[in-house]
Amino acid sequence: MSLQVLVVDDVLESRRALCALVTELGHAAIGADSGAAALALLQRHRPDLVLLDLLMPDMDGFAVTRRMREQTADRWLPVIVTSSLEGEPHFIHALENGADDYLQRPVSPGLLQAKLRHYAGVLALQSRLATLAQRQRDILGNILDPVVTLDAAGCVSELNQAALALTDAQGRALAPGVSCDAAFGLPLAELLGRRRLTAQRVSGAFPAELGLSQWHDDGRTHYTLVLRDLTEQQQVERMKDEFLATVSHELRTPLTSVLGALGLLAGGAAGALPAAARPLAEVARRNGERLGRLIDDVLELTKIEGDRLVLHARTQPLAPLLREALAANQGYAERAGVRLVAEGVDALPQLQASLDTDRFLQVMANLLSNAIKHSPAGEAVQVVLDAPPGAARVTVRDRGPGVDPAFRARMFEKFSQADGGDRRMQGGTGLGLHITRLLVERMGGRIAADEVTGPGAAFSVSFALPDGAALPADPLHTTRAVRTVLHIDADFEARERVARWLAPLAPHCVVEGVASLAQAQAGPAQDAPALCLGNPQAQGSADAFCSALRRLAAGRPVLLYGDSVDQAFCDRVGLPWLSPARSGADALRAAVQQALAAPDASEMKGTR
Amino acid sequence: MSELRRAMCVEDDDDIRLIIEFSLATVGGYEVLACASGRSALAQVEAFRPDLVLLDVMMPDLSGPQTLAALRQLPAMQGVPVVFMTAKALPDELEDLLQHGATGVIVKPFDPMTLAQDIRPYWEHGRGPGA
Repeated sequence: MSLQVLVVDDVLESRRALCALVTELGHAAIGADSGAAALALLQRHRPDLVLLDLLMPDMDGFAVTRRMREQTADRWLPVIVTSSLEGEPHFIHALENGADDYLQRPVSPGLLQAKLRHYAGVLALQSRLATLAQRQRDILGNILDPVVTLDAAGCVSELNQAALALTDAQGRALAPGVSCDAAFGLPLAELLGRRRLTAQRVSGAFPAELGLSQWHDDGRTHYTLVLRDLTEQQQVERMKDEFLATVSHELRTPLTSVLGALGLLAGGAAGALPAAARPLAEVARRNGERLGRLIDDVLELTKIEGDRLVLHARTQPLAPLLREALAANQGYAERAGVRLVAEGVDALPQLQASLDTDRFLQVMANLLSNAIKHSPAGEAVQVVLDAPPGAARVTVRDRGPGVDPAFRARMFEKFSQADGGDRRMQGGTGLGLHITRLLVERMGGRIAADEVTGPGAAFSVSFALPDGAALPADPLHTTRAVRTVLHIDADFEARERVARWLAPLAPHCVVEGVASLAQAQAGPAQDAPALCLGNPQAQGSADAFCSALRRLAAGRPVLLYGDSVDQAFCDRVGLPWLSPARSGADALRAAVQQALAAPDASEMKGTR
Repeated sequence: MSELRRAMCVEDDDDIRLIIEFSLATVGGYEVLACASGRSALAQVEAFRPDLVLLDVMMPDLSGPQTLAALRQLPAMQGVPVVFMTAKALPDELEDLLQHGATGVIVKPFDPMTLAQDIRPYWEHGRGPGA
């Protein structure tokens, strides 16, 4: 960068020599023979840098520096003083009076070159910063939303152009120094917690969305607020809502007649239908119902995607919600000949998550009805509540045809069955799982199609535990209640069977069935169970399973059973073999009772 | 009034009205008066003296809630159960309708073969002390 340098020196020869040197170094030089001439030139030429002789008649370099500073308050003008006097004091004095730098006369060309290069760099940097600052001022000025900066005390410190139209409640224009309370009717602390507020403008009050950023300079805190006017958006939303309500009504009205007429025909209300006509009426009815579900789903989706779904989330225990969901779907399950089996619901009564009750029940209804629909009659749909670290999880498992692994990743997408032709999706709208996913995510949770061993599909939804929520604080369940038989088997039907077989032992002991050791460890495990009963099948290495189970049992009896273990294995790992477990309820009960009565179990008597 | 015998339905859509009438009269065996508007219902209700009223929500002129309010002004209609029929199905919308003083809500599309039975619990539970 080439600089324009003002050379101030009353001695003609030295001025000329310095100008020549500056020119030689690739910069432009202007000469001035006195302080007064220099100050006059300053206005006309706007030099980038000044080389100033300290010793001049009339006005010396110190005075000139001070005057120059006064004249160029809006920018930085580097001033390098020069002098042939020996010693430092006059240079120190000059620096203290506003000079930036000094050079001993005669001026060394190398030193001058280095200094000019340095100042050229600094000036370039400064000019870039000034451009940037100007650009930001321009952008801020042109933003249509009011932008207001408040200081740490909550007083207005800066306003952009649009914010100049804001007023306080009394209709006075906002200006720097006005308090947050006066400007927005709220103390700062409350304002910072708000996402929306009603702001005032010359033309009247308007609803505004609040964007807030906090920043610091020199250890002081500032808050910049952007107020987005929501008037228009709310109007559009209202119109869209009205439109959707109309569409919904207009679509459902003819459908009500169609389905009503078909229902009466198929029901024989207008006389018995010929046998050949009945399946046709059934086809029409089934598809009419499907059309109705599609209308419902599309409207629901429009609502969720338009972000117009209002959630009433509150932290609440999951177990009662699951019981309600199970009860609500019991009728459908019975009609389909499918059993609903709950696990973990009684064991984790205090497991909480932040949920909207109705929406969570809707999620469960979607998952349960899906699972029931795909289950062969006589099978069970299993609902498991458990607590992996930091989360609450509900898994719905069915024994239906399952999900093609290649399809698993796409199944939560919209109309995902359209090209997949997946068997599971027949009769559905292709929107149910997508809506379910959106609802779960809107509540801050996650949904997944789990990999399963064996037939069927499993869907799990998990929610982070509320902040600071430790697991169950219920005294009945912080300790494993009464005498708990912890039963680990990957096969839920086996768990169900064993629970049924051991049920007569209640209330003397209760069975807690889990699918894996990990699940057992996630449970309320302050106290060890009275007895561990495990099947190493499908649990990874049988040896590792046995030693982990033994650790979990903490000295209480462990019983093994299953097809993957035999007497030899049990002898090797030093655990008793529960062969009778495979031969029926009575044998299992006897073995459990015997193990619980064993001396090393007697210490449990002190536990409730 | 110990038996549910006379049901009145108010529905502006001709086809749906026909279905409801069919469901209640032919399938259910009730004596039915079907009205196409809230005004027509108000004009006939005192002569008909229904045991229960089925009321569409979205109707031109007098809406369902407006008709309900007008019905409740009539001395003869104190305590007669009124059940809304609506295509809106969101829980907060249903709750809103019950706030209007309805005894219950039946969601459209409804099952025409069971409608006559489906309204019976509302009649049983909905008769107020004035009935």
